[in-house]
Amino acid sequence: MMGKVEILFFLCALLSACDPFEYHPYDVRLKGKYKDINRKNIERILANDTGKDTVRFAFAGDTQRWYDETADFVKAVNCRNDIEFVIQGGDLSDFGMKKEFCMMHDILSKLKVPYVTIVGNHDHLGSGEEIYRAMYGDLNFAFVYGGIKFLGMNTNALEYDYSTPVPDFSFLEKELRDSITAPYDRTVAMMHTPPGDLIFNNNVKYVFQEYLKRFKHLMFCVHAHTHRLMQTDFYGDGIIYFGADAMVHRNYLLFTITKDSYQYEVVYF
Amino acid sequence: MKWSIFKWLFCYGVAGISLISSSLKVCAEKRHLVLPNVKHENKLERYKRSWARLIPQYEKMQFAGSMGLISLGVGWDYGRREQWETDIFLGFLPRFDGDKAHLTMTLKENYIPWGLNIRQSRWMVEPFSVSMYINKILGDEFWGRLPDKYPEKYYSFATNLRINLAFGQRISLKWNSSSLSNQVTFFYEFGTNDLYLISYLTNKYWKFSDIFNLSLGLKVKFI
Repeated sequence: MMGKVEILFFLCALLSACDPFEYHPYDVRLKGKYKDINRKNIERILANDTGKDTVRFAFAGDTQRWYDETADFVKAVNCRNDIEFVIQGGDLSDFGMKKEFCMMHDILSKLKVPYVTIVGNHDHLGSGEEIYRAMYGDLNFAFVYGGIKFLGMNTNALEYDYSTPVPDFSFLEKELRDSITAPYDRTVAMMHTPPGDLIFNNNVKYVFQEYLKRFKHLMFCVHAHTHRLMQTDFYGDGIIYFGADAMVHRNYLLFTITKDSYQYEVVYF
Repeated sequence: MKWSIFKWLFCYGVAGISLISSSLKVCAEKRHLVLPNVKHENKLERYKRSWARLIPQYEKMQFAGSMGLISLGVGWDYGRREQWETDIFLGFLPRFDGDKAHLTMTLKENYIPWGLNIRQSRWMVEPFSVSMYINKILGDEFWGRLPDKYPEKYYSFATNLRINLAFGQRISLKWNSSSLSNQVTFFYEFGTNDLYLISYLTNKYWKFSDIFNLSLGLKVKFI
């Protein structure tokens, strides 16, 4: 015999299974397909690593509330067959709500190539960061593709108090030491907020650059956040920071890295 | 003979005086204690009655509805045919795949314009209800006023407060019995919130069905 409590519990479980319900815009209740996306997609990227000389990837800026433009971006990228993967530069959401992240993933998962995201300052709002972690995993990550180390970093320091190190130098230390297990000869650093921005921890702005330069052959850095195309040598040391435009302006950056150089172009769609 | 008369007189006299004095004493006691009590008790009664008006007239339980997994609340109905309701809820939001659980607080106003009694039955249908509610989620990561660390107007909304709008239907059962409650109402609602509405209005990708979600509820009426 089922008691009243069991019946109620069973009813709740049944109702949550078909799921027209929402417990809160900021709840962190996610279906399996919305979990651990960065790790799964990096695995897909690495499975395609055939060791060829040229690496070509797209870097898209803030998507925020520009769903229609993002859907067009996906169509534009799917029309080509020379792009190996897509990096979304953060601010996937506008308000940090779960539905925004899920809707954006619904759009971006239609890409034929894998995509990886970097955390943006808007993605921290409310319980956004918990949602982001559950959906995409660690806020700092790295992978080596075609002999290039891609560093994805959380640089949104203003979203924290000082109890959380942002940028995380122990992550960079770990990655520096890790060079033996995953051999690479060039580095690309990716972040949402560029150094000098008020969201960045500018107290460590120079230390950050020194750390990045300790990686083997730092080719360039790429960021989003500013909602405009940028190409800046922030430190006057020859390391260029490329800034991706926001989705609303209907363009993305396309990087082509060859054995000893790289090119970039702005592709409008 | 004379003695006996005197004796009787004395006896009656003592008895009479004590009777009179005791009755006088009763009167005195009444005058001093009982009469002021009536006034006081009237006032006390009025005081209690004025607070009694605040006793919630019903209790509610709501499942989902962007205010927690389960919310428990009390409320008051008023208006000519009790077509207005004001509810207050405490909701519980489990942590699911996140780090911690949260409590939420809700102030909800409902308007139920029509009630149709089903002929010769104890059932009543309310074909339309509209509700507006403010939900506040408690937790360090949510704020109502932009924290000082940000430049002014950096983010232009409160993460802890959502304004919700919901439409629904209800069915009630009434009965006469000695139990505490004699009316139970089941309701469902489709609701959305301010930020979903903004997202919907600024995009073609968001469909109308994307911004509404279902919730279920039960109202047990006492007064």
